[in-house]
Amino acid sequence: MNPVAAYGLLAHALIFAALVSQLPLGEFRSRVALAATALSLMVGIAPMLHGIFGTPSLTLLQLALLQVAGRSPSPLSFKPALGLLCFVALFYPTALGWGPFDPYALGYQPWAILAALIPVALALFWRRQTLWLGILSLDLLGYASGLFANLWDVLLDPLLVLVALAIVARQGVIRLIASRTR
Amino acid sequence: MMFSEKTRRGLPLLLFAGALAAAFWRAPSPPAPAFEKPATAAPSSLPAQFTAERLPDAGESAHAATLAQLPDGRLAAAWFAGSREGAEDVAVWFSVQGRDGWSRPRPIASRETTAGGTFAYLRKVGNPVLYAEGSWLHLWYVSVAVGGWAGSSINHSVSTDGGASWSKPNKLQTSPFANISTLVRAPPVPLADGGLGLPVYHEFIAKHGEWLRLAPTGQIVDKLRMTHDVRSLQPAVVALDEQRALALLRDAGPGPGRVQVSTTDNGGLTWQAGEALPVPNPNSSVALLRLKSGRLLLAGNPPNGREAMLLWISADAGKTWQPTRTVESAPDGGAEFSYPALLLGRDGRIHLAYTWRRQGIKHAAFSEAWLDEATQ
Repeated sequence: MNPVAAYGLLAHALIFAALVSQLPLGEFRSRVALAATALSLMVGIAPMLHGIFGTPSLTLLQLALLQVAGRSPSPLSFKPALGLLCFVALFYPTALGWGPFDPYALGYQPWAILAALIPVALALFWRRQTLWLGILSLDLLGYASGLFANLWDVLLDPLLVLVALAIVARQGVIRLIASRTR
Repeated sequence: MMFSEKTRRGLPLLLFAGALAAAFWRAPSPPAPAFEKPATAAPSSLPAQFTAERLPDAGESAHAATLAQLPDGRLAAAWFAGSREGAEDVAVWFSVQGRDGWSRPRPIASRETTAGGTFAYLRKVGNPVLYAEGSWLHLWYVSVAVGGWAGSSINHSVSTDGGASWSKPNKLQTSPFANISTLVRAPPVPLADGGLGLPVYHEFIAKHGEWLRLAPTGQIVDKLRMTHDVRSLQPAVVALDEQRALALLRDAGPGPGRVQVSTTDNGGLTWQAGEALPVPNPNSSVALLRLKSGRLLLAGNPPNGREAMLLWISADAGKTWQPTRTVESAPDGGAEFSYPALLLGRDGRIHLAYTWRRQGIKHAAFSEAWLDEATQ
């Protein structure tokens, strides 16, 4: 069995369960999430997500697990989501061929990225963002496991960006409605 | 045991420090890249000879052949075929040339087997590349889940029994955006550290060649761009010595196209765009080979289309090129002789496989003397 493929499939099943668990299910939430995990594997939702979005990042998987476990609110709040969107607004176009520099290639020998994560971790520690520090640490342990060839794939993925976009858009809509009703 | 508040607060930082140390330990630090030393140039002793034959058909539409020589000396070919390019029934087919000619093709990678091996939905498969490395026979091929060929990713499979059985495919992670838009067309170049340099290309937003450096374990350890002023695709690479290599690329610009050039003089660490060759390229794939004599052979198409398969030869490491032979041509509008693949046999014979009218694959075998007859 291909471990990366198996990880991708199971992670997408859990991510689907996390999406389902967003519904107002009350006391049935955990049971429905479990059923959604199994269903996504059986009816082909997880392989479909895997094919379309590729291997999910460990960051997204951890956020999904927190959601399934009922931890609320999600650490991916408006500010981190907006920060992620600002980052990928430059990262994705350049990594996909805009200009001569490919930032994604840095992730194959990620010494510079690892060094850059030290001040990020210190800032998270300083601001008492313990959960994000834990997520980042598990990301790095995931990279150290050898499952991922490129460090960027551990940290972020397009589905995580879509989730961030949804969070920022929702916040924008809420602010817009609030300003109209004043 | 009770931890003090200060200790409890420091634990996440400690965990991060440990994880960071583990990540630093895992991060690859490959040696400075270098190519495996090319074989010493020697004159070919083979007399002038040329043979050609069609490979057995595998589907109504066939395209993108690739060649490899197995450890027992037999020639192997792979290509994709099905009802039409991009159709769901397209598979990568494999055939071996034995004493009785080419074997009946059999599928070695399909939409179903790839989806089953990678646990991911996909829509179609395409370009394969074979490469023999000791007793291993590598197969890289592209697959698409969503959209056209620009949405491709590369799968890798290995056979250790001459192509009789293949490992489950493994998807190469080459792009951060749903792993899209890395395609393969030409064979890799062996590196001095035992790894491989795999020429690939990118089609989404921009079109340019790329270079994947693979460690001896197969892990990607670097990825470089081959950028040009014009859109370019499908690099074909030969090493000239341990540090220098030449990549020739398909011109995907507005035309009239010329064969595009990229060079490296540091083992593939960086690639520079060179001046395009005075060799036409009607937005079609080319193949490049270093011959036994040390000269370079280029296969491609004439300026206006794919109605002929032409050869050019260079005796000065690709600086100048002379046309040699027309392998096949036809004046009818439906003629297409394209997507060449070149291979140097261990006996010094040159093998060329190409798409024949999109109906099948043709294989030609010839000697350097046959090429020289045309230029004398």
